[in-house]
Amino acid sequence: MPEGVAVSESAVLAGAPVTAAGARTRLVRRILKNRSVVIGGSVFLLLALVALFADALAPYNPTRLYPGQRLKPPSMQNLLGTDEFGRDIASLVLHGSRVSLLVGGVTMILTSLGGVVIGLIAGYYRRLDIVIMRLMDGLMAFPAILLAIALMAVRGPGVWNVIFSLSIVYLPRTAMLIRSTALSVRELDYVLAAQALGRGGLAIAFRHILPNCMGPLLVQGTFIFAYAVLAEAILGFLGVGVPPYVPSWGNVIASGKNVIREAFWVSAFPGLALTIAGLSLNLLGDGLRDTLDPRLRRE
Amino acid sequence: MSYGKTAWAILTLTVLVLCLAAPVPDAAAQKKGGVLKVGNLGEPPTLDAHWTTATITEVLAQHIYEGLYSLDARSQPIPMLAEGMPAVSKDGLTYTFKLRQGVKFHNGKEMTSADVVVSLNRWGAQSTYGKTLYARVAEVRAVDTYTVEMKLKEKTATVLISLAIPNNAAAIYPKEVIDKFKPAEKATEWIGTGPFKLVEWKPDRHIKMVRFDDYQPRKEAASGYGGRKVVYVNELLWIPVPDAATRVAQIETGELDFADDLDLNAYERLKGSSGVQAIVAKPYYWLVAVFNKKEGLMTNQKLRQAWQAALDMEPIMKNVAGGHRDLYRMDSSLAFVENAPWHTKLQGLPWNEHNRDKARRLLREAGYKGEPIRFMTTQEYKWMYDFALLSKQQLEDAGFTIDLQVVDWATLVKRRNNSKEYDAFTTGMGNFYDPTHHIYLGPNWPGWTDDEELNRLLTELAREGDYKKRFALWEQVTRTFYDRVPVARYGDLFGLRAMRTNVKGFDTTLMRPRFHNVWLDK
Amino acid sequence: MLVVVTVVFLLIHLIPGDPVAVILGPEANAQQIEDARRELGLDRPLHEQLLRFYARLLRGDLGRSYFLDRPVTQALWERAEPTLVLMLSALVVAVLIGVPSGIVAGAYQGSWWDRGLMTLALLGVCVPGFWLSLNFIYLFSVRLGWLPVAGYASVFQDPVAAGRYMLLPAVSLGFNQSALIARIARSCMIEVLRQDYIRTARAKGLAERSVIFLHAFRNALVPVVTVIGITMAILIGGAVVTEIVFNIPGLGRLIISAILRRDYPVVQGVVLLTAAAYMLINLMVDVVYAYIDPRIRYA
Repeated sequence: MPEGVAVSESAVLAGAPVTAAGARTRLVRRILKNRSVVIGGSVFLLLALVALFADALAPYNPTRLYPGQRLKPPSMQNLLGTDEFGRDIASLVLHGSRVSLLVGGVTMILTSLGGVVIGLIAGYYRRLDIVIMRLMDGLMAFPAILLAIALMAVRGPGVWNVIFSLSIVYLPRTAMLIRSTALSVRELDYVLAAQALGRGGLAIAFRHILPNCMGPLLVQGTFIFAYAVLAEAILGFLGVGVPPYVPSWGNVIASGKNVIREAFWVSAFPGLALTIAGLSLNLLGDGLRDTLDPRLRRE
Repeated sequence: MSYGKTAWAILTLTVLVLCLAAPVPDAAAQKKGGVLKVGNLGEPPTLDAHWTTATITEVLAQHIYEGLYSLDARSQPIPMLAEGMPAVSKDGLTYTFKLRQGVKFHNGKEMTSADVVVSLNRWGAQSTYGKTLYARVAEVRAVDTYTVEMKLKEKTATVLISLAIPNNAAAIYPKEVIDKFKPAEKATEWIGTGPFKLVEWKPDRHIKMVRFDDYQPRKEAASGYGGRKVVYVNELLWIPVPDAATRVAQIETGELDFADDLDLNAYERLKGSSGVQAIVAKPYYWLVAVFNKKEGLMTNQKLRQAWQAALDMEPIMKNVAGGHRDLYRMDSSLAFVENAPWHTKLQGLPWNEHNRDKARRLLREAGYKGEPIRFMTTQEYKWMYDFALLSKQQLEDAGFTIDLQVVDWATLVKRRNNSKEYDAFTTGMGNFYDPTHHIYLGPNWPGWTDDEELNRLLTELAREGDYKKRFALWEQVTRTFYDRVPVARYGDLFGLRAMRTNVKGFDTTLMRPRFHNVWLDK
Repeated sequence: MLVVVTVVFLLIHLIPGDPVAVILGPEANAQQIEDARRELGLDRPLHEQLLRFYARLLRGDLGRSYFLDRPVTQALWERAEPTLVLMLSALVVAVLIGVPSGIVAGAYQGSWWDRGLMTLALLGVCVPGFWLSLNFIYLFSVRLGWLPVAGYASVFQDPVAAGRYMLLPAVSLGFNQSALIARIARSCMIEVLRQDYIRTARAKGLAERSVIFLHAFRNALVPVVTVIGITMAILIGGAVVTEIVFNIPGLGRLIISAILRRDYPVVQGVVLLTAAAYMLINLMVDVVYAYIDPRIRYA
């Protein structure tokens, strides 16, 4: 039975709605009742709001330097202290969320889209499959961070370069997922029937294969979001991410590394923000996975 | 008489007791032995002194190699491998150097004129300072086993100082090594005449040097980089520790005995740390923004003058120095205070005017319309990034638009050779021992300063031998410099070093560390 | 593998920046740089360099490091030991913490143990490794002074010192992975405990403890072994950042400095080695898996 279009026998026997629309509503309600989803989702929503309204929320312009105010501890004037150029940490953290969420979000979207395209092609067209698989295997043979660093070294600093590099790094994972679903669905009776009826490959792909992937795709996407946020911070920390004067959590942690004794707050707060962001996304992902497909946990 | 005998006994006893209890006089306290662990910025690109101007190579190479001349405490050339000062012909075109006899290389061979001639020629072909000198040299040849003669094309004031400079130095190698390695190749055998000899180089782990037992020290007292050099420690271990904060931590815990190029933020902590002596390294660099005068926006002199006028340098210097007054100095001379012969004290120069109105006026006169100025810097030298960021804000407040490009050092060094890629970049100037060595004043270095007046003055300086006249010329150079603004000079930044308190004999006045005449007291 | 090699080669040569200029030092001029480039063969066209690269690779020659003046293979060999020690220590930490936690949590599902351990595991996944390292350094080295800040000592030369230097890096690197292992172990344990033969064992009257240890434990271990294999692969990437923070002279630090110095041969060498190791590990995991799982063996 294909997943996702959840019309299970037991549901039918229980008198549940048989239509697809009804099944979907049930699914959504199930998702929203899961505790992980609620907690993770609301924290993440909060984060997104903060990122959106960072300008209004931040007490100072995060890029404004106040050389006389270097390394001041948290006070009424600067709630989270200042860094070595006198920039307000609170403002930096608030604006940093923008970069993190932007990188995470766009990477997630790009990998999902790209993964779908590549995965469907690979799953459907045998000949291309072999070539694509080789390529994906090649890419996956590297630890993600190493590949990201190398790509950044080629492209140079900048937000869009980070997004581009991370998308390439995480693309294979989504592609493989879509491909395996495509492969498993391809042999099913009703797909073969559709083909016999003369339906084109693309139509089949979209009507039959894609809906089955939605669940796992969403779950995978959430985790990729989390990986991308963390990866952006690591790249920033190593100095190969967004330019150092752009407020980003990784950059601020890096600048705090050298003054960790005199001013631990510089590294502490953005790291905390990073942890919270990661937590919310992971909870969300866990919850979605539990509701959408408990069997995924075995992989 | 018994009374007398008792008195004598008491006297003898007292003297004995006093002798035993008395502290050992300090002069004899130099202890031989031990391993001195030094923390380095990283790996040197090579240990071949002729090959590069990189500071880290300079420091390491100066422990195993020597040149004909060295520098004393007043930055004047003094003989090292040469016996004494050279004999100069009447017309000033022939220099005759008498070499010391019985000086041994690390491989046991004695140094002769054959080694000196080929070494100097290799240096003249590869080293920046060597090439500058050799442009005026006709020939270098051996007269006899211990005499070398240098013939010049025209009168040159810079022969001795060029041979004495420790950076990219005219180090003397054995002929066999020179024959093996062409000038453009990095020599991979490191045999010199210095007080230390290289035993092992494990990249990213350590560089091990030991005492050269057959070293022949000079008789004169140690002065500056020269004079008598005695090695007390058994072993000198250079350990690469790229992270500045880690170097600091390791000095505190004693894992390192000496560490250089430390994070300025650690100054307070090191001062208060027991077992550690914090040393302020003066001079270190003066900070500079170099302008692209070949093409682009900064070919416009008024723009450069506007940049110079807009800067309020003291807050920048103070911030770069970690907030510590001891770690920077406001000075406009192009030669450091410590470079006594060439330090100028001119007044009324347009340096550090922090006059925003003047800057705005100059921008208007220049016809500047807010086009972005590409300003290149790197985070690998933290102070470069710091002053670039602080400058950007000040300049933008005055009406500039600055496009700050942060790249790694390798990219910066490459791009700055290409006039299409930038308008300004950050760097630091170290000490130049002679007015004609200031690379930023000439057309052969990035930035491409090609000013008629400056060129004229510098050519005069290369020719003129009289110190008083040279100094007057140098002051003229300085005034012209501040009018033309080929580069924007900020203030002087000092470096931070730290040493365990049981390390004795270290000369803290030297610009670069030397570990001869140093012993471990434990 | 061929794809990997080519991608790596092309990637590196696309990076702007000139290795020669770095080596010669800031005060070199254009002529010196040109001469040195010719010496190193960098002035030949790109495809020619690529072909030479393949040819040398087949002979087992990875080329010569520009910066370090020695064959790449030697450079890799010298730095392999610290990285291997780090990875193995981190793996040991991860397994020692992760497996028992997961087993216990799974065995006592729903209890306070379970909740507590799983919350810790969640944190372990979300806390950025490099931030954790910084905090550890701050706490244990700076404040308490128990352990050295950074550095490395060889196990073969001075085991005690080696242990002290390796403790913080191994723990901070291993902590992230232990969380992953714990969660997998837990779900495997739960799954196994639901099986029929466990119910049989309980019905037979066996003590709970022996039920857990004798039967459930061994079977739950199978997928855990797979995860351990995957963990090893992830550790390769994590080791890079840890080596930077703790100044360990291993392959991770080598590749970062090689990228910064544009030491192309070294970068290629490290990436190739990493990819090969990755593939090797995956292979070993497959073998072990087949060995442990009796069902597969008799298939």
